[in-house]
Amino acid sequence: MKNNNKNSRRKFLDKGVKFSLAAVVGGIGLSNIASKLNAKPNESSGEKIELMTTDGTLVEVDSTEVTEISHPPKEDSNKYNVREGFPNRKFVMVVDLAKCKNALKCQQACNKGHYITGDNAWLKVYKMQESKETAPYWMPTQCQHCDQPACVTVCPVDATFKRRDGIVLIDNERCIGCRFCMAACPYSTRVFNWKEPDQGEITLGTEYSPDYAGYPSVKGTVDKCDFCPHQIVKNELPFCVTACPNGVFYFGDKYEDTVTNGEVTLRLKKLLEDKAGYRLMEGLGTEPSVYYLPPVDRLVDFKEGLDKYKKFQSTEKLQ
Amino acid sequence: MKSNDKLLKDLAPKKFGKLGVIWTCLLIVIIIAGIIAYIDQLMKGQIVTNMRDYALWGIYISNFVFFVATSFVGSVTVAILRLTKNTWRTPVVRIAEIIALAAIVMAGITIMIDMARPDRLLNLFIHARIQSPITWDVIIIPTYITLSFLLLYFPLLPDLAILRDYFKKDKPTLSKWYGKLSLNWKGSKVQKSIQTKSIQIIALMIIPVGLILQTIDAWLFSTTYRIGWDSTNLGPYFIAGAFVAGIGALVTVVYIIRKAYKLEDYITEFHFDKLGKLLVLACLTYLYFNVNEYLIPAFTATEDEATHLNTLFTGHYAPLFWFVTIGGLILPIIVLLFKKGRKPLPMFIIGLVVVVASWWKRYLIVTPTLLHPFLPIQGVPESWHHYFPSVHEWLITSATLAMALLIITILVRYLPIIPIQRTADEQEELLKTTKNAEQ
Amino acid sequence: MKNQLNFNLIFLAILGLLLFSTSFQSLHAQKVKKERVRLKAKYIKVMDGEIYLDIKVTARVKRKNIKVSNIDLTIYNKVNNKKIKVGETTTDVDGESKFVFKNLNAIKPDSTNTYNLIISFKGNDTFKKAKKNIVFKDVDIRAKLITKDSINYISAILIDANKDSLVSNQSLTVQVKRLFQPLFIGKEFIITDENGRILVPIEEGIPGIDGNLTFEVVLNDSDDFGTVKAIVEAPIGVPIVDESTFDQRTMWSPRNKTPLFLLIFPNLLIFSIWGLIIYLITNLFKITKS
Repeated sequence: MKNNNKNSRRKFLDKGVKFSLAAVVGGIGLSNIASKLNAKPNESSGEKIELMTTDGTLVEVDSTEVTEISHPPKEDSNKYNVREGFPNRKFVMVVDLAKCKNALKCQQACNKGHYITGDNAWLKVYKMQESKETAPYWMPTQCQHCDQPACVTVCPVDATFKRRDGIVLIDNERCIGCRFCMAACPYSTRVFNWKEPDQGEITLGTEYSPDYAGYPSVKGTVDKCDFCPHQIVKNELPFCVTACPNGVFYFGDKYEDTVTNGEVTLRLKKLLEDKAGYRLMEGLGTEPSVYYLPPVDRLVDFKEGLDKYKKFQSTEKLQ
Repeated sequence: MKSNDKLLKDLAPKKFGKLGVIWTCLLIVIIIAGIIAYIDQLMKGQIVTNMRDYALWGIYISNFVFFVATSFVGSVTVAILRLTKNTWRTPVVRIAEIIALAAIVMAGITIMIDMARPDRLLNLFIHARIQSPITWDVIIIPTYITLSFLLLYFPLLPDLAILRDYFKKDKPTLSKWYGKLSLNWKGSKVQKSIQTKSIQIIALMIIPVGLILQTIDAWLFSTTYRIGWDSTNLGPYFIAGAFVAGIGALVTVVYIIRKAYKLEDYITEFHFDKLGKLLVLACLTYLYFNVNEYLIPAFTATEDEATHLNTLFTGHYAPLFWFVTIGGLILPIIVLLFKKGRKPLPMFIIGLVVVVASWWKRYLIVTPTLLHPFLPIQGVPESWHHYFPSVHEWLITSATLAMALLIITILVRYLPIIPIQRTADEQEELLKTTKNAEQ
Repeated sequence: MKNQLNFNLIFLAILGLLLFSTSFQSLHAQKVKKERVRLKAKYIKVMDGEIYLDIKVTARVKRKNIKVSNIDLTIYNKVNNKKIKVGETTTDVDGESKFVFKNLNAIKPDSTNTYNLIISFKGNDTFKKAKKNIVFKDVDIRAKLITKDSINYISAILIDANKDSLVSNQSLTVQVKRLFQPLFIGKEFIITDENGRILVPIEEGIPGIDGNLTFEVVLNDSDDFGTVKAIVEAPIGVPIVDESTFDQRTMWSPRNKTPLFLLIFPNLLIFSIWGLIIYLITNLFKITKS
C-alpha cells in the first residue's frame, strides 16, 4: 500500500509538474495575446517611408504602419475638365489693405496646405512704401490670375494655362523648366523648384492634378498660388482666406457679384465702389483678378506688423 | 600648273603640330569637366547653379545670346559682302562660315542646358504654342543651322574634289572621305550652274533668316515687361551687337589661323585693313544703338528706369559696364579709325577685347534687370539678392565655349580654310585681265 | 490524500495567478485616463425637405481640439420620462454625422408640444461617455416671392406647426444662396411682427445662373425652435454671361486657339523658307547624280 501511495504520489507529482508547466507556458502565452489585443502592434519591417504630418513636420515612419485609405471619389471630379474649370464662374479675390497687420497666418496656412518646402512662399506679405512721403502698409500678394496673363502667353509648351473660370494653373508634368513665365510675370509670384522638393511621400498613390498645386511639387518645374480649386470643389474657401484672423481676404465669384471672407459676405461691385478698390500695376494691362482696397482708416498701426516681418524668410524650415 | 601646285600645297589641310595637339587636348579636358558638371546638374537639379527665383536666368542664357550673336558672322561676311560685291572677302569666307556654324550649333546645345527638364524636350515640338517667343526660337535656330551648313557645304564641293585627288597617294582613306563628301564633283557645266544658283539662293536667304534670328533672340527679352528688356530698340540693338561680336570673332580667328598656317600671302594686311573698317562700321552702329538704349532713358529717368541705369552707370555693375562700353566699343572705334590700328596685330588684340566684351555685355543684358523686379525682393534668403555664377555654371559654360572652339578646330583641320578652287579661279581671272590689259 | 489536496490547491493557485496576469492587462489599460468629448448638435428642418440633426463630436486632447471620428451614437426620444430609441449613427472621418428623420412623426412630443431628444455616447476605451439634450418645438416657415409695383419682395410667415398659431418676435434671416456663403437680403436679422410676418424688398441686379436665384428664409439656431429653413426659387436674377476669353483666339489661348495672324503668316514664312531649303538639298543630290 505504501508503494501504491508512493506511486500515485509520484504520478500526481509527475502529472502536476507537467500540467503546471503547460499552464505556466500557456498563461504566458495568454498574457502576451492579451497585451497584443490591447496595445498597438510593434513589429517593424525595417522599411521606412518619409511622411509629412498635418502640422508640416517630416517624420520617418515604418512602412507597415501606413495603410492606404481609399479616398472617396471627388463628387465633382466629373463635373469639370481641369483645363477648362468650373462652369459659369469667374473667381476674384479682394484684399483689404486697411485690415492687414502682417499676422502672416495666411502665409503659414498656404505653406502648410500646399506642402511648400522651398525658400520662397507663394503668398508673400510685402512691406510696401511707394515713397518716403507716403504711408507704409502691408500688402499680401500672390498670383493675380490675370485675365491677360503674360505668363501663359510666353509658355512654349502650354504647361501653364488660363481656365474659363479665370484661374491660371500649372501642369507640372508638362513644364520643361525654361522659366520664361517667371521672367514674364511682373508681380514676381512664381517660384521654381531648383532641386527635388523635400516633401517626402505626401500623396501615396493619389493621381497628380494641376488643380492641387504642390501636391506634389516636381523638381525642375514652376509653382505658384492656384486659388485653391481643390478647396472650391468642396465649396470651401482658399486656405489664406480662412486662416486670416483679420478678415483681410475676400474671395468669390465675380459673376455672382459676391465675395466673402468667411464671416462677412458682400456684393463685389458695391465693395469696390465704396472702398475705391484698385488692381496692382493696372497700367501694364494684365487685367488681374485680385483687387486691393486701399489702406485707409487703418484698424491697427503699420508698426505693429514689424515684429513679424522677416526680410529674408517666407517659409518655415522643416524639423 | 605650277601656281596651282603651290596653291594646293599652301592651302591643303595639314596635320596638327605639337601646338595643335596640345590645344585640342586642352579643349577636350575642358569639355569633359563641363560634361561631368552637367551630369551633376541633371542629378541634383539646377540648385547647383547660383540661379534662384529672382536671378532666374544666368550665364547659360547670356552665353546662349552670345553664341547666337556670333553666328551672324556667316550672314555678314558671306552674304552681305557678296551681295555688295566685296571681292576681297574670298580668303575669309570659309573661316566665317565655320565660325557661324559652330556658334549656332552651340547655341542650340546651350539653350538645352538651361532647361531644367531636358527629359521633356519633345514637349517643345509636340505641344508647341506658336504664340510663344521660345517656339519662334525653336523654329529659327534649326533653320539657321541648316542654312549655315549649306552655305559652308555648297562652295566646299570643288575643294573636296581637289583634296580627294591631292591625298590619293599619301592618305587613301582620307582621300576616300573627301571623295564621298564631294558628291561626284567633276566641275561640269551642269554641276557648276546648280552650285552657283544654289549659292546665290542661300546668300539671298541667309540675310533675312539671320536678321530674323537676331530679332527673335531680342524678342525673348522685349516681350516681357521688365525694365531694361521692355524696349522697342532691342531688335535692331541685338542685330548691331551681332555684327560687332561676329566680326570681332572673325578677326581673332583669322589672325590665329593665318599665323598657324602661315597664310600671309593669302590673308594680307589689305584684308585686315578691310576687316578693320568693317568692324569700325559695326561698332559705330552699335554705339548709336547703345546711346538710344542707355542715354535716352536717363533723360526722363522714370523711377524704374533710373534704378536700372544707376546699377549700370554707378552701382554694382559699373566696372563691368564701363569695361564693356569703353573697352569693347569706344576703344576699338578710336584705334581702328587709324590705318596703323588696322594692322594685323593690333586688330587681333582689338578683336579679342571685342569678343570678351561682347560676352560680358550679354551678361549685363540678362542679370541686372532680373535683380530689380517691380515688387521689392522680400521673403527670400539674402543670397538671392545677388547673382554670380557658381563653379558648375562656369565649368559648363567654359565647356560650351571649348566645344565651339573644338568644332572650329576640327573643321579647320580637315577643310581648306581658304577656298582653293575659288582662289585658283580668281587668280586665273586676274592673270587673264592683266594679260588683256598688257595686250 | 492530504498531499493530493495540497497539490490541488497549489494547482488552483497557479491557475488563478495566470488568469490574474491576463486580466492585469485590461486593468492596466483602465488605469489610462479617459478624455472628455464635446457633443454639439443642431436640429435643422428644411421646409418641404430634410429634417435632420447635424452632430459634431470634438475633444480637447493635449490642448488641441481634435475631431472624434468613428464613434457610435444613439439617439433617444424622451417622452413622459421614457427613453425610446430612435436610431443610431456613427461619426465620419471629420467627426461629424447627419442623422436624418424620415418625418417628424417618428418622434413624439410631450404635452407642451416640445420634442425632447437625447444623443448618447456609450463611451469607449479612449473617451468617457457623454450625452447631449436637444429640445425644440415644431415651427413652419412659409415663404414666397411677391412682386408689388415692380419691386420684388420675400414674404414669410412663422407658424407654430402644432398649434397653427403665428409666432412673433423671432429673428429671421433672408438670404440668397451663393457659392461659398449666402448673401443677406436686407439686414442680417429681421424680426417677425405681431402677425408672425416679415416682408423684405429684394435689391435689384442680383446675378444668377440663367437668372435663377435661390432665396432662403432662415430661423437660425433659435432656443425654442432649432433651425428652420424655407427655400424660394425665383427666376428674377440677372442672367450670368460668360465673359471669359476661353473660347476666343488670343495670345494666351492653348495652341488649338492661336490667333489667325500667327497661324497664317509665320507658317507661310516657315514653309517658304524650308521649301527653298529642301530645293537646295535636292540640288545636292542633283550634283551627285550628274
